Amino acid sequence: MSTPTAQRLAAERRQVRIGAALLVVAAVAALAAPLLGPAAPDRPLTTGDVFAPPSARHWLGTDDAGTDVLIELLWGARVSLLVGLVASVISVAVGGGVGLVAGFAGGRTESLLMRLTDVALVLPALPLAIVLVAVTRPGLASLILVIGLVTWPGTARLVRSQTLAVKERAFVRRARSLGSSETRTLMVHVLPQVLPLIAANGALVVSQAILAESTLSFLGLGDAELPSWGRMLSFALARGALSAGAWWALVAPGAAIVAVVLGATLVGFGLEQTTAAATRRNLLAVGSPRATHGRGRRDAEAGSAAAELSVRDLTIEYPGPAAEPVRAVDGVSFDLRSGEILGLVGESGCGKTTVLMSLLGLLPEGARVAAGSIRLGGRELVGLGERELAAIRWREISLVYQGAMNALNPVRTVGSQIREAILRQSELQTAELVALRVRELLERVGIAASRAGSFPHELSGGMRQRAVIAMALACSPRVLLADEPTTALDVLVQAQILDLLRELRDELGLSVVLVTHDLGVVAEMCDRVVVMYGGTVAETASVDDLFHRPRHPYTQALLAAFPDLDRPAEVLRTIPGAPPRLDPPPPGCRFAARCALAVERCRHEAPELRALVPGQRVSCHLAEP
Amino acid sequence: MSGGRRLGRKLLGSTATVLFVLALNFFLFRVLPGDPARAGLADPRLSAESVAKIRERFGLDLPVVNGIESLRPLRFGSLWTDPRETQAARYLSNLLRGELGISYHTNRPVAELLGERLWNTLLLLAAGQLLALAAGVALGAWAAARSGSRGDRLAVLGGLTAWSLPSFWLAMILLFLGSQFFGLPLGGRATPALDGGPLLRALDLARHLVLPTITLAIVSFGEYLLVTRSALVDVLSSDFVLVARAKGLSSGEVVRRHALPAAALPIVTLAGLNLGLVVAGAVQVEMVFSWPGLGAAMLDAVARRDYPVLQGVFLLLAVSVVLANLAVELLYPHLDPRTRRS
Repeated sequence: MSTPTAQRLAAERRQVRIGAALLVVAAVAALAAPLLGPAAPDRPLTTGDVFAPPSARHWLGTDDAGTDVLIELLWGARVSLLVGLVASVISVAVGGGVGLVAGFAGGRTESLLMRLTDVALVLPALPLAIVLVAVTRPGLASLILVIGLVTWPGTARLVRSQTLAVKERAFVRRARSLGSSETRTLMVHVLPQVLPLIAANGALVVSQAILAESTLSFLGLGDAELPSWGRMLSFALARGALSAGAWWALVAPGAAIVAVVLGATLVGFGLEQTTAAATRRNLLAVGSPRATHGRGRRDAEAGSAAAELSVRDLTIEYPGPAAEPVRAVDGVSFDLRSGEILGLVGESGCGKTTVLMSLLGLLPEGARVAAGSIRLGGRELVGLGERELAAIRWREISLVYQGAMNALNPVRTVGSQIREAILRQSELQTAELVALRVRELLERVGIAASRAGSFPHELSGGMRQRAVIAMALACSPRVLLADEPTTALDVLVQAQILDLLRELRDELGLSVVLVTHDLGVVAEMCDRVVVMYGGTVAETASVDDLFHRPRHPYTQALLAAFPDLDRPAEVLRTIPGAPPRLDPPPPGCRFAARCALAVERCRHEAPELRALVPGQRVSCHLAEP
Repeated sequence: MSGGRRLGRKLLGSTATVLFVLALNFFLFRVLPGDPARAGLADPRLSAESVAKIRERFGLDLPVVNGIESLRPLRFGSLWTDPRETQAARYLSNLLRGELGISYHTNRPVAELLGERLWNTLLLLAAGQLLALAAGVALGAWAAARSGSRGDRLAVLGGLTAWSLPSFWLAMILLFLGSQFFGLPLGGRATPALDGGPLLRALDLARHLVLPTITLAIVSFGEYLLVTRSALVDVLSSDFVLVARAKGLSSGEVVRRHALPAAALPIVTLAGLNLGLVVAGAVQVEMVFSWPGLGAAMLDAVARRDYPVLQGVFLLLAVSVVLANLAVELLYPHLDPRTRRS
């Protein structure tokens, strides 16, 4: 099993290899041409053999001049590859140079160069090439030069934007501030970063150049002396290959052009994709996780009847780079009681967001619930189909997602996005009622109803987060999931948003799961807390117990790393080391490697989550009542 | 950058491009070898005197600009001639009156010659582009929604192959197939000496349009597919897609209502920039199908060294592409509110 990203990367590498193979075949053909015989003018014509179909003697038949199509084809490969490569070098040198200098220098140089590029970019390339070739002496050199000159602006644009991005990276700024000269910074630090993109673009220019060469030769603007594929087609068409039914004289050169152009395109496109592959994720592909039941034991203590949401032994696996799947969540159990705010805390990567999204049936591509159960008011959610989940989403469980800027669609108004959520509810269907509800929701979260027509970028960060909350309330859900609802907001706005959430909970009787890594938020907001570590629950407790009687060494370490206003003199201690890899997880306690108290037993035997005192459960061998 | 400044910059760029094309048109064709007297066919009966007469008729006896008598051979002249009596001034004042000069070959005004050709080319492009855009966007969105899957890879390969097809070759192959197996006409715009009412003539035109339109559609289709797919793949990694899924929207609804509107900007931008390529495709297709459009006129002009026509076509094509790009720029605020002036 491998990750979707890795699969994509492998597919793109394969694409590059196929493309390169096509080019290698063409190169071998070009080199082998003299072995089969000289090009057309130097070979006695087999007169009377015009447009002869493919035979043992002429594998690809003969053309309008009675010349062997195969031999012409091999010679043509030379012209195509030569023009493609040299023109691409010219284009990339000019375009890459302009882009690199413009992006790096900035200021007036940049605006001058880019304006020049913009002018050149909109000139229609083929007509320009036709004009230029027509007025210069037709020949290989002028052909190459013209093609190189009409294809550079695209490269310049691309390289400039990449250079701009690289320039702002930390190591380049550091080099500059340390007194590295401009030229040196450009050559040593910036160029190597931009090079992969230049290479990808270079391959694409090769394909364009080969296409342009064959087109110009076909139009009779190439070097009439040179055996090129375009010329073959031009003569074949002019001499009536169509009416003679001599498809071989037309198909073979065309197929050769397509193969070489496609080869270069595959290389360029594949290279371009591999440079971007790591950052891409397809969020559309999230969906109802395939579930396999029956694994893991049922929790002895069944979910309490008062629980709104009850999670038992939840285990979620991702395909990972190794053969063994990554067990991102392993045997997690907790209850969300009606009307409470439950905190889900832990370092990043501990599985808290995965748990949260699984409650909506939205796991990333490839992930699956391997075991466990999620019950909403007594109804099992694990194993539900896409349609049944769609009916639960937003109506019963809705979401306040982190980073308010990205949680809203930038090209649609706030009002329309709230309206869309309301329309999931069948009761409100007339336009007036829906509009009324949008106003009501906006006003409830403290936004003037007149802002319904605003786009997200027209609102401040705090307002956007309020709009996201209004959207979450659209269908009057019973459970609200909030994933880091206050990150990227300043402290004052943070406090306002938290106040709003608490008010809404009191007023609407919402039950809230709040994912955060900020213990300050936990202290202020939550009734109870689930502390997660390495995909497992380390401790669950009431807020009071957690802050005053933490029993798991990890909870204690988290608290020690958190500044306390009451005891400002105390030294903050960070937790040494990093969370464990989970493919597969370590055999014993997952925190053992970083735990100051760990004994031999902790490294071999995984501790169970035990109820030490009523309301507080700890998964640690050493914890005592 | 505010929308106003952006538009201003774009207008400036468009103007610069048009000026560049004008200068190129004016100077390039005066540096070149070639002469109205020898355009088309070399007539051995012409005396030096009549050659001079013909040159005078085309205004080529005037100084190029103040200070330069002629560019080929390069001769400097007086700076103080009447600026109105130069080739540059004539060229510009003619242009302002919508005149593009007189064809060396046919002696007809170039503007008149190209006027009818322009409509033929537009007719050809419009149908093909609409077809390509619809199919490319639909399949590109389909592929992006399942990016990384086998179907996606096949769609991308199909797009790349379509992109790699030389227009002229595809035109030939389709011409071969269409005429052999479907009885479609071998080229041209209308069947000569066709009797019949307007309906029959329209039908005849449509039959002539089928193959060139399909050719142009296939060639542009690949590009639209790839652009749509890559723009959508970017958008589909945004958080709002996840939120829309959490709202209970199906993947199809998310693509249609959220992802495509957010990806419209890069798609339309590239469609605008691609117009240059589309024009290139039209030149080739017109040649293969003997379609009496601008591209065919351009190639005829090259063969006959009919410079006024060549200049005229190039100016017309370049200005069209520049204007189309500008139009796309004007569309921006409607596609993406973030580019709107606040």
